[in-house]
Amino acid sequence: MTETQHGTRGEARPAAPRPSQSPRAGGPAGARRRSSARIGPKLGRFSLFALPGLLAYVVFVLIPIGMTGYYSFTNRNPFNPPTKWVGLRNYGDLLGDQEFRQALVNTVIITVIVAVFANVGGLLIAMLLDRPTRLYVALRGIFFTPVVLSAVVISVIWQAVLTDDGLLNSLLRGVGVDDPPGWLSDPDLALYSIAWIITWQMLGFCVVVYLAGLQGVPRELQEAASIDGAGRFARFRNVTWPMLAPALTINTVMLLITGFKAYDQIQVITNGGPGTGTTSTMAFQVVQTAFNGNHIGYSSAMAAVMLALVATVSVIALRLLQRREVTQ
Amino acid sequence: MRRSIVFCLVTTLAVAGCGVGEKPSATPASGGKVELSFLVFETPNLNAAFWDAAIARASAKVPGVTIKKLVTPNVDRTGYAKQLDASGHLPDILQSVNPAGFAEAGKLAAFTDDELKNFIAPTAGAVDGKVYQLPYNTQVIPVVYYNKDAFAKAGITETPKTYQDLLDVSAKLKAKGVTPFVVGGGGADTWADMYPLTGTVATDVYAKTPDFLTQRKDGKVKFADADFTKAAQKVADLAKQGYIDPAGLSRSYADTEQAFRDGKGAMYPMGSWFATSADNNKPGFEIGAFPWPSDDGTPVTPTFTGGGTSVSASAPNVDLAKKWALAFDEDKENNDAFVKLDGSIPAIKGYTPPTDMGPVYQATVAIYQQGMKDNSIVNAFSQETGDGSLPPGLADKSALGVQDLITGKKTAGEFASYLDDQWTKATQ
Repeated sequence: MTETQHGTRGEARPAAPRPSQSPRAGGPAGARRRSSARIGPKLGRFSLFALPGLLAYVVFVLIPIGMTGYYSFTNRNPFNPPTKWVGLRNYGDLLGDQEFRQALVNTVIITVIVAVFANVGGLLIAMLLDRPTRLYVALRGIFFTPVVLSAVVISVIWQAVLTDDGLLNSLLRGVGVDDPPGWLSDPDLALYSIAWIITWQMLGFCVVVYLAGLQGVPRELQEAASIDGAGRFARFRNVTWPMLAPALTINTVMLLITGFKAYDQIQVITNGGPGTGTTSTMAFQVVQTAFNGNHIGYSSAMAAVMLALVATVSVIALRLLQRREVTQ
Repeated sequence: MRRSIVFCLVTTLAVAGCGVGEKPSATPASGGKVELSFLVFETPNLNAAFWDAAIARASAKVPGVTIKKLVTPNVDRTGYAKQLDASGHLPDILQSVNPAGFAEAGKLAAFTDDELKNFIAPTAGAVDGKVYQLPYNTQVIPVVYYNKDAFAKAGITETPKTYQDLLDVSAKLKAKGVTPFVVGGGGADTWADMYPLTGTVATDVYAKTPDFLTQRKDGKVKFADADFTKAAQKVADLAKQGYIDPAGLSRSYADTEQAFRDGKGAMYPMGSWFATSADNNKPGFEIGAFPWPSDDGTPVTPTFTGGGTSVSASAPNVDLAKKWALAFDEDKENNDAFVKLDGSIPAIKGYTPPTDMGPVYQATVAIYQQGMKDNSIVNAFSQETGDGSLPPGLADKSALGVQDLITGKKTAGEFASYLDDQWTKATQ
């Protein structure tokens, strides 16, 4: 039982407006005041519960982002003090930084490959697995396994597969390929090998999201389309695919973010090589510049650019894909 | 309610604040002991049991110290030390962390002449005349370890004395279908591809200009100068002629060593630490060792001396930490263990290695002793510490650049110019 139910507080009582009441207390404004007064104590209590989480978010996310923004305008190098304000110089230097440009290009290539192939592969596999038998339920679990594994574990496994003496080349040699490709040692292939590994890991995520989407497509619509003479492809194009728009949005945004953040696989499998900048991504470049080169200020500018880029691309993709959801 | 919120806010901030920049107390811990953190790295050879035993031996000699062992997540202890330092948690004692940058920034305590009196090269790795890392051991980098069986099968009866001999040997091996060199550098172990270049820089650059990097710092020389470019060209040519297999660049350090053991190449240019690994875990063939040859056969022995412990200037008790560090590095049993497990050549006066060392280690030490006798000791490129060393991060950039040389993505001239550009960037 609350105080309001007891009616012990006059301001909470749902009294009818009287002609004698002042405009401040009555009418819509007064109702709003009464409503906020009822919510106030609850809000306070809820805020108390939210406070630890909020503080963690502020301390571990917002403050570091703010510090990164601040450092990006300095020449901070913990091994070469003092730190001085340099204005936009770091950002100006980034424009002419060939290595950063290469890392940006590599990141975009990885992101595009991951976004396209994981989406397409995920959809195809989801359609194959969209059956209620136990076998297919078990297969869904198997496809989802890479998603729950650490990127480092995935990287170690794929390194063992793709290295020159690894499983894949041993198989190729076994079937008579004398000079199998250097999946990780050939500068023209290594970036695509990395993109494939990330795609492989994200495939399970896409499968699950598309499966959820497929199971939300009403069977009556499919049947109605069949009765109207629609073939399998026409049913997919005109019924299933439009209904999967929300799943496409989720997958695409998640894959874009994953591609832009690619770091672990590069650190474990190629260390940015073979050679200079071959597989270096923006995130990798940020860490290398900060902790190998000690240029914290400059790397903060890189991180700020990366943050802006990921946020912009994600928001644009989200808006475009959501618009598609609305218009379908 | 407002007071509750304020209380929660203050408490949470206080708790969060406590974790940042927390340092051990300067006062002795319980039992009258000072707790000192000690950063070590573990490898298959230098495992947890080794470090625990070595720490116990040093602690027994220095009463009043309790050591808290910290282990790096991988062998890149310098990178990890930087990350710890960035969060205000630089360990009190650090094992084999490159002092470059830390020393200049005043983060490490310098050792006095008296403290260094037992070391053979007491000024090795000095920064502005002060030593921040105990020069407890020497390593020859590279030694060319070779498969005696593969040499015999290719009709090679003598080890190469000149660089042309090395090329001839390589040609004979290749003609027999054997890849002459095993060179790796995959995964996080990019550094493992450096050793052919370390060899050619020693013979073609450091033999003439021992203080090359100091001169580079002063702007008197450049990597793009003829000698360094020639050294890089030699590596590019080895790859171009098929004597180094670029596919090896996908192999991690451990995989590279295994590839040599598996007979996937006849010569393995590597640091002298491989010697005890070869002795302790013998492959199915005999291993020999020879120094990287110069053009005219003049002996040149690239070495690194240092690699011991450093002490943080902000340790709770710097004097006690230094005393413990010295006890750790000078302990006979600790050095015996380093010799047996890591092929170390201790640079401590009066130290003699165990008499039961294997033939590959003996051959390696013989190369070093001959170098001392010939007065042919020079620095090992990319391994230098102190004033005449590469700026932070440049050793890693060099290793990536070497991959470009091996895959043909960069010419020797482009590689040298790349290093000059990276030097400029690193020192800005």
